[in-house]
This record gives sequence, structure tokens and C-alpha cells, in this order.
Amino acid sequence: MHPVWDWLVAIYLFLGGLGAGAFLVAATLEFTGKRYEVDLSPIRLVGATLPGPLVALGAVLLIFDLGAGLREPWRIFYMFTHFTSVMTWGIWILSLFVLLSLVYGFLEVMDTYPMAWERMKKRLTFLQRLPLRRVKRIVAAVGSVFAVGTAVYTGVLLSAVGPAIPFWSTSVLPFLPIPMMPLLFLVSAISTGIGLTVDLSGNLALQDMQKRLRRLPLIHLALIGLEAVLLGLLLFTAFADGGAAAQAAHDIVFGPRSLVFWILMVLPGLALPFVYHACTVALRRHSRILELVLGIGILVAGLVLRYLVLVSGIPVTL
Amino acid sequence: MDTKEKECLPVEKTELSRRGFLRLAVASGVIASVGPALLQGCSSQRDTTEAPSARYALVIDTTKCTGCRACIVACNLRNKLPEGQSYTDVLDETTGQATWFKPVQCQHCANPPCAAVCPTHATYTHESGVVLVNEKLCVGCKYCMTACPYHARIFDETRGIAEKCWLCLDWVLKGDLPACVEACIPGARIFGLTDDPDSEVSKLIASGRAKPLHPEFNTHPAVLSYIIA
Repeated sequence: MHPVWDWLVAIYLFLGGLGAGAFLVAATLEFTGKRYEVDLSPIRLVGATLPGPLVALGAVLLIFDLGAGLREPWRIFYMFTHFTSVMTWGIWILSLFVLLSLVYGFLEVMDTYPMAWERMKKRLTFLQRLPLRRVKRIVAAVGSVFAVGTAVYTGVLLSAVGPAIPFWSTSVLPFLPIPMMPLLFLVSAISTGIGLTVDLSGNLALQDMQKRLRRLPLIHLALIGLEAVLLGLLLFTAFADGGAAAQAAHDIVFGPRSLVFWILMVLPGLALPFVYHACTVALRRHSRILELVLGIGILVAGLVLRYLVLVSGIPVTL
Repeated sequence: MDTKEKECLPVEKTELSRRGFLRLAVASGVIASVGPALLQGCSSQRDTTEAPSARYALVIDTTKCTGCRACIVACNLRNKLPEGQSYTDVLDETTGQATWFKPVQCQHCANPPCAAVCPTHATYTHESGVVLVNEKLCVGCKYCMTACPYHARIFDETRGIAEKCWLCLDWVLKGDLPACVEACIPGARIFGLTDDPDSEVSKLIASGRAKPLHPEFNTHPAVLSYIIA
């Protein structure tokens, strides 16, 4: 049975996670006060303004994966109605997240460029009473809840399929009935979000980012370690479960997909970043170029991970 | 932001300390791991332990099936499906040295996972117990195709909707047989009414010879049941 969901859905899941992760980076900077202590404007601007368009783009691309829904787009409104379906939850969570991140992006730009904010207030006088910083914090807080919801939902979408596709509903551990996909996708979302905002944008725009965020290598190491552990557990539990789940895990690690898995996912997403950041801590030196390349690698790995999970969704043996 | 503005900023009392941030991260992680597990319980299927009640029953006697696949041809012709597509499939099974055949199609479950995951209510259960697809509501998202553990669904590329066995309900409601039952040469498909205790299907089900397929899926097939040697 050919995989029902292919590249378009993988891109949608990837963009959903990326947008969510990037938003959480911006929200973290907002709440830890780092935003005001240090000038990290490229990171927070990217994290505030890109998620909305990115997730919206993913959703639009997904419409092209629909059948009748593409020819008669008004049917898409019906997708908001069936609340036992994880897909309906997802469409609500994503819609609200896109809305909130677009608003937050606008507010962040206004906060960064006070002259633009002044001109906006002159044109739209009702904005003059708006306590910008307070509204920003509220939007960041609510937006963060929906960001976590977005990232987790991409995993629940798969795990909710249940016994039909055993690999997708693999548990954290064989005896623990907690699905792994939501957790793994959440951590991967944060990882790609940091890759985009900090590794890519931060290094592109800022000369001495390392001096400003001294804890960064440790955060990277912890996150990569966590993602590696979760991925390892997923494969271990899938092997232990046997059947179609074990077949899927085997295909990924040893089988026809193994090259893509090791070279395009594990290497750029886990191994290389881990080694690099460990060296940064040990040698107290860093390289902007390497971090830029690693940032791209982390994004590629995030997309490849989702693609691999999708196409490895082997149906249960009857 | 210019330096003057930086100096004038009051200390934000609502800032998150490192410890607070870590606490929040751990809490999110816990919610993210336990939450979906709990919600999945509420979302996917209703938990029903009642006996499936549908008006019709289709018993597949695998001891009689010869694997001729006339049922597949009949279904393909009746529903005008493209070459190679059918709502029913016949699987080759091996037990020890013996090869036997297992026809599989939509089981018309009382607890259908396809209906639970459908975002538009396109998949629904008819009053007779037959699970149908409303072609006007289906958007072709294919979620039902991933969720059916019996792999009963196919995708119609020309209309962009997901389809499956609908038990030839128009014929059945008039008292006729579904196409696959009519075509079965060895008599491996037995069709009848469940509220008639004298019907062959009622007797087979009551005797316990005919059982649902893969009850561990928790889907409670309401129409289809199997006699497996």
C-alpha cells in the first residue's frame, strides 16, 4: 500500500513545527527580559514575524493535497465542524496560531521601530491608548500556548490513527501508553525553530551573537540530546512492538530509507550539531560560517524526519 | 531601540527567571506527553461494549472461499471503478502448509475509526448500520484512509474523494443481495437480516462460528463477520 500522505503533508507538518518553534523562541526572549537587555533584534524579529506566514503557507500547500476540497474549496469550512477529529482540532489551533502570530509580528515590528509606531498611531487614533508592551506580553503568552498546541498537534494527528498504522502510534516505552510522536515533534519543532531564528538569522545578522547568548551551546546540546533520546526510544519501542511498527523501524534504520535517515537526518540534525557545540564549549571558539551551515542542516533534518515518519507509516498486517 | 530608551526602562517585575522558565518548560513537556494520550482516549472512538446492532449481516466463510476473486470483479463492475480497483480485496493466507483466502472489505463497524477522524462529517453511519460516505462533504484529506485498520478505503482520483464498500445499499434495501454476495460461486458469502432468528447469518452468529475480524482493533464490526477454520 503506497503511503497515503507524501511530501506535501511532510512540508506542512515541518512548517507547522518550524513556525511554532520560532514563535516560542521570540516569546522566550519576550518573557525572560532578554529582549530589552541585549539587542537581539534579528532573532526576535524573525521569531515574531515569520511563523504566521510560514504556517499559513503550509496550510495553503496542504489544500493542494486535498481532492474534492481543492476543486470545491468551500468544503474546507466543513473541516472546522467535527470535534472528534484531531484534524478539526488542528485546523482550529493552526488558524488561531496564525492569527496570533501575525498580530504578534506586527506588534514586535512596531515595538522595534518606534517611529513607525508613532506614524501608525497618528493614522489609526484608536491605537494611541494601547499599552504596547502589555498587549505584546498577552499575545506572546496566548500565542505560546497555541504554538505548543500546533507542534504537539502535528504528532497527535499521526498517533491518533491508532492500530491502523502501528508505527505512528508507538509509545514512549513499550509498557507506557504515552504516544511518542507528539513529544518528538514538539522537540523537533523547537529545534528547527532555534535553527531558523538563532543559528541562521542570528548568525547572518549579528557579528558577536556568541558573546550575547553565552548559554546557547548548552541549550543546543541539551535539546539535541533530548531529541536523540526520543528518536532512539521511538525506534527501540517500535522494534520491541514487532509487526508493522518493527518493519517501519527496520526500513528507516537498515532498509531502503536508511541512507536518507542517516545522511540527511541524523548527521545534519543530531550528530554534527552535537559535535560542533561540544567543541564550542570545550575550545571556547566558534565559527559563524559553520553555525550558518548547521542551521540549514537542522532545518533539512526536521523536514526529512517528518517525511520519513510519514512514508514509513506501514499499515497493520491483517 | 536607542540607548536612552534602554536606560529609562523600569525593571519588569513580571519577567521570568531562569528557574521559572525551566519549570514552565518541564510543565509544557509533561502536558505535551500526557495530554495527547488522555485526549486521544476522548477523541478517536467512543468506547462501546454493547453488541453491534446492524440490520444486515454478511458472513464470510473462509473455509469455502477458493480465491477466485469473482467478488472483486463484480464490485468493480457494479461501481464502475477503474481497472485494478475494488472496494473488496482477497488476501492470501498461509497456515502451516495450507493456503487459504480471506476476503476483506469495509466491516461497517459500530465504532468506526474512519467516521471519528473525518473532519467534515462526510463519513457517517446509516440507520441500517451501514457506514456511508457523503460525497458532497468529503474533501479528500485521506485521514480516513490512514485510520481504517482493515485498509478498506480507496481514493477516487477523478472525483477526489475517499470511497469504500457501501454494501450496495440501494439493492439491499429492496431485498436484493450486494454484488459481491451474488457473484460468489462457492457460496463463501452469506448475507441476511439480523432481526430474523431463522436466517442463516443469525444462526451462524448466535452459534459463535462467525466472529468479528481483529476484535483487538476495538472497532466492533457490525455487519461483517468471519468463519475461520
